Amino acid sequence: MKLRFWGVRGSCATPGREFLRYGGNTPSVELVTDAGQRLLIDLGTGATELAKQLMGAEFGAGKGALPILLTHTHLDHIQGLPFFTPFFIKGNEIRILGANPTSGSSLEATLQNQLSPHYSPLSGLENLAAGVSIETITAGQAIAVPGFEILTAPVPHGSMWTTAYRITADGKTVAYLSDVEYPSVDEPLPAAVELASGADLLIHDAMHADHDYDLRRGWGHSPARAGVVVAEQAGAKKLALFHHSPDATDDMIDEVVARTAGRTAVPVFAAAEGSYLDI
Amino acid sequence: MQITFWGVRGSYPVPGAATVRYGGQTSCVEVRAAGGETVIVDAGTGMRALGNKLLREATRPQHYHVLLSHVHWDHIQGLPFFSPAYIAGTRISIHALLTAADELHQVIGGITRHEFFPMSLEAVPAQFEFHQVEPGVELDLGPFHVMPIALNHPFGAVGYRIDGDGSSWAYIADTAPFDRVLHKQHFLAGPEVLTDDDRIALEAMRDALVRRLEGVDTVVYDTHFTEDEYRRFPHYGHSTPDQALEICVAAKVRRLVLYHHAPSHGDDQMDRIAEEALRKGATMGVEVLTSFEGMSLPIGPDADAEAGGAAAAATGASSDAGKGQP
Repeated sequence: MKLRFWGVRGSCATPGREFLRYGGNTPSVELVTDAGQRLLIDLGTGATELAKQLMGAEFGAGKGALPILLTHTHLDHIQGLPFFTPFFIKGNEIRILGANPTSGSSLEATLQNQLSPHYSPLSGLENLAAGVSIETITAGQAIAVPGFEILTAPVPHGSMWTTAYRITADGKTVAYLSDVEYPSVDEPLPAAVELASGADLLIHDAMHADHDYDLRRGWGHSPARAGVVVAEQAGAKKLALFHHSPDATDDMIDEVVARTAGRTAVPVFAAAEGSYLDI
Repeated sequence: MQITFWGVRGSYPVPGAATVRYGGQTSCVEVRAAGGETVIVDAGTGMRALGNKLLREATRPQHYHVLLSHVHWDHIQGLPFFSPAYIAGTRISIHALLTAADELHQVIGGITRHEFFPMSLEAVPAQFEFHQVEPGVELDLGPFHVMPIALNHPFGAVGYRIDGDGSSWAYIADTAPFDRVLHKQHFLAGPEVLTDDDRIALEAMRDALVRRLEGVDTVVYDTHFTEDEYRRFPHYGHSTPDQALEICVAAKVRRLVLYHHAPSHGDDQMDRIAEEALRKGATMGVEVLTSFEGMSLPIGPDADAEAGGAAAAATGASSDAGKGQP
């Protein structure tokens, strides 16, 4: 299984020279099995870059199929949707899977609202030329996507819940826990640890540098060391710090990585836009 | 009066090496009068950095006026990241066109509903006020006299002519040209055949725009597309530099600023677009600048010397980043 980070930034995209190495696009991560089956997690602005690559192949001809998993519908995780060009080609089949937002609104109504005539000239999901199915999942259940075994868990994110994913293919496992904050950093949710159990790669929310965290407790995001605690308890083989703060420049992220790596035996790196990983 | 560009990009923010010189943030312009009064035009992602700057400058909570051209995401999504909104005592007056029946506060508030953003505009400490604007109905905001102008964009948009300090400029984004497609209140999968009424409506809209722009010193214009891109997507609601020049010549505008750059236009392509438009404009008697993030432009004849320097830099003669050049 191969993985590519297309967007690693949290909250809002960060154009600018200080963000070139780790990248400024908001979350979107692509997984491809050895047999070529593809899966996308989150539809942040990073997805617009992936779209350009997909359009050069079967998606440009209207013959592409893609499942997309959403952790939640905060804008940084869906704002690539109206600009994800495979949606504009008839014949493509795109599934969007995610839990209903905690507010009580449905996933479909939320995405419809994102594309409402006020906010978008697309003025509704029905105007996307591709076949689009919105599939509501219940966090905690297993879901079926061709080529991948997927387990899910609800995790706390401020006043709401997001969906975390454990994705297995080709005998390898990636756990994706973006946008999560545990009641206590030192005692992560057992469900989160279980989801990451033995994972070859744990991608974890690391929005805050550890020394900044006290001021930002309760905002729904983790300090870098939260991922370390989960990785150690879960026996994960590698940790990718993810969902970097829009205030974190490349140099600041370097510092966080150095400090975090110095306190654990688990190999740690910061997710960087455009990088490929062989899992 | 001085205008500063905090976001010049259209559609969505574009980080990366290809946009470091012209910038990747979406639409946001700061307007400052000689007396220091500030109005913000559009609330795209560029508004985040503007808010941080305003907060550093302010000695006490301020009252900010925000003029919105329309409420597509690229023109409003900076609002939840505008840091003065999180300071008690701040007042934020949003002025916008609304074509559908909904209430403006619901539409703007809708971008921070629970599903989209962790904190609602109702919950932030700043006090928000909402005012609907109508094309042709002028408003006075401190030293600024503002004229909303109807534009040709899906579901409607307005431009603004802003007079102040004895000079004037106009913000004309987002708009399609006024010949091939008339944007109304429905989705266009492609250009529709124009009726006679449509042609009359387009002509009236163009005439009103030209009339409002007459005598304006500087016009900032939606030039999202190249000519070739426009031919492929005439129903997307955006213009080209040639189309903007045509309007500026008709209105005898002194200076045109290219704005709302397509997300696919990297810095090198922007250099070529800027150079070609500058050359064409010169043959038509219009000075053409190309906006980039961080560009400040004094408005009015007194500002000629500084503006000349910016024009030279906008040809892409230098690739070094810094004040006054992309």
